[in-house]
Amino acid sequence: MDGFDPVDRYERMVEMRTFEELVGEGVADGSIHGEMHLAIGQEATAAGLEPLVREGDAVVSTHRPHLHALIARVDPVRMLGEIFERSDGLCGGKGGHMHLFDPSVDFMCTGIVGASAPIALGYALQRKRARPGAVAWAFLGDGAVNHGTFAEALNLAALWSLPVVFVVEDNGYAISVPTTQATAGAIHRRGEPFGIPGWAVDGVDARAVYEAGRAATDRVRSGDGPALVVATAYRFRGHYEGDIDHYRPRRQHEETMRERDPIARARASLIAGGVGADELMRREEEARTRVRGWVDRARAMPWPDPADALTGVFAEAEA
Amino acid sequence: MTTATVEAGAAGHGAEPRGKRTEDGQATYLVAIAEALWEEMERDDRVYLLGEDIGVYGGAFKVTEGFLDRFGPDRVIDTPIAEETIVGMAVGSAMEGFRPVAEFQYADFMSSGFDEITTVLARYHYRSGVPLPVVLRGPSGGGVRASSFHSINPEPWFAHAGGIKVICPAFPADAKGLLKSAIRDDNPVMFLEHKWIYRRIKEPVPDDPDALEPISVARVRREGRDVSVITYGAMVHKALEAAEELERAGISAEVVDLRTVYPLDEETVLRSIEKTSRALVVSESYRFVGIGAEVAATIAEKAFEHLDAPVARLSPPNLPVPFSPTLEDAFLPQVADIRTAIERLSAW
Repeated sequence: MDGFDPVDRYERMVEMRTFEELVGEGVADGSIHGEMHLAIGQEATAAGLEPLVREGDAVVSTHRPHLHALIARVDPVRMLGEIFERSDGLCGGKGGHMHLFDPSVDFMCTGIVGASAPIALGYALQRKRARPGAVAWAFLGDGAVNHGTFAEALNLAALWSLPVVFVVEDNGYAISVPTTQATAGAIHRRGEPFGIPGWAVDGVDARAVYEAGRAATDRVRSGDGPALVVATAYRFRGHYEGDIDHYRPRRQHEETMRERDPIARARASLIAGGVGADELMRREEEARTRVRGWVDRARAMPWPDPADALTGVFAEAEA
Repeated sequence: MTTATVEAGAAGHGAEPRGKRTEDGQATYLVAIAEALWEEMERDDRVYLLGEDIGVYGGAFKVTEGFLDRFGPDRVIDTPIAEETIVGMAVGSAMEGFRPVAEFQYADFMSSGFDEITTVLARYHYRSGVPLPVVLRGPSGGGVRASSFHSINPEPWFAHAGGIKVICPAFPADAKGLLKSAIRDDNPVMFLEHKWIYRRIKEPVPDDPDALEPISVARVRREGRDVSVITYGAMVHKALEAAEELERAGISAEVVDLRTVYPLDEETVLRSIEKTSRALVVSESYRFVGIGAEVAATIAEKAFEHLDAPVARLSPPNLPVPFSPTLEDAFLPQVADIRTAIERLSAW
């Protein structure tokens, strides 16, 4: 998959939203415990970047990781198995939704804000030496850009010309604090003092994200050093499922969701461009059916054996 | 074992650390550590070093002197002063098959990388099943008049992290063999060197590059009948000195050197208590929730029927390491304190 196919991207966004909605249902019906961070409203960023993620790349994500895992080609059923706390999940039920690891595709995430960028440098170091053309993707939220690790990582990535694509998803809020109250200056210019070019892009427009991402990855894959893409979108849900979300006035929240819905926007654009509504409905239904099938399979997985809680802290000695 | 001072590193008998041994072939603790790193880097090109001032400068204590010339800048990497990034990058590269050894200039600065150490490094394998062969090493400990930012014993923090092995060697040969084991281990290892020992203690160390010391195995350093002193790091040397003095007074103290504080070798500790029925636990880490507290609790829980006296502890109080020598000496357990504690126990 290389290049941007708007109908295909639309279907993928529907798939992503369905994924998040069904996980949200799992939280609501008590099937999933703990904190749950959904990326509804941010689908266009992941879907726009997906055609640019290649085999051999590494993806390091955040506490809101599901869509990043999907574009890193993590098996969605095993991911859902982990989210639904099952033994056949990615981590055998030991991690949960913000502790997803899939070494077969070099995907990982960390629930600590700011912790992803330094790890991506390690992945990138190996790629610079042994896998020319491959990159490490470091996803961060707007909250993470004010953590010291972001500056540390920008500096080293530039200094050593590491193949890192930093993607900051500014979804408007670091939990409850608006980006405008926490962050000075323009995030996409944070790399400038280090010589890292930045792209600011409307994260609700998958094609715009794709175009900026392509310019950024062209640079990084050709060995010219890191790049920074800042995609601005709107977080539809609270910070976590159950967030009382009183910091966003209801009317304004609902208006913003209407204006900043990447799926509604893409649909209107496709219809205006002559794609038939029947075709889109067929695609939507296929996407939803597919995701429901994944969730059904995950929900049918067995529970972990309690004895497994005590295993696996350390790797066994080498044979 | 001797306490004669040997200049290491700066002595410069050649680039190889082995060239820095004394004329009769003994190595200081510091040279032994350098030899371990050198030999493991020669053995396995996945091993690389990263840290602050480890290249041209050769490290704050000169452990890596000569390494840059021999192994080149891709394997001896000077980093910015950015500890979270040092650890994070070590983690990421270990996932890709490297075996990074990160030097912290002082163990005190490990707290600057605390998040990546405790939430990423320590907890990765449990969830992912992917081995993470990362060694973090650096000089810990007090007694060198370095005040509170350069004297910490951070072993309880990391022993408590739940996924990091913590090694605190007391002797050059142990330091060499255990560091080699740490680098070959598929798990995160915190290797806490003791800067008071660096140039004070020397002894013959193995030449065989495959001579390893096992992790999580304690060692009885001195056999005794009356009291067991359980300790590690610099306190081993003070305990041995106290035991020698008491031998002349007719009290026989056994000294157990834990060598690895997590996971703890309970068996060797408990076997010693079965023999002596009295336990003194000495640690340089703080008394409250320190390594000594854990060892004492283990003995009380698992060897109660063998005890003829309450388990005694000697550890510094939980306060910043003071600077002026009179203050620091009052803070750290001294040979005389250990002697008095052993005498009190043996009188039970």
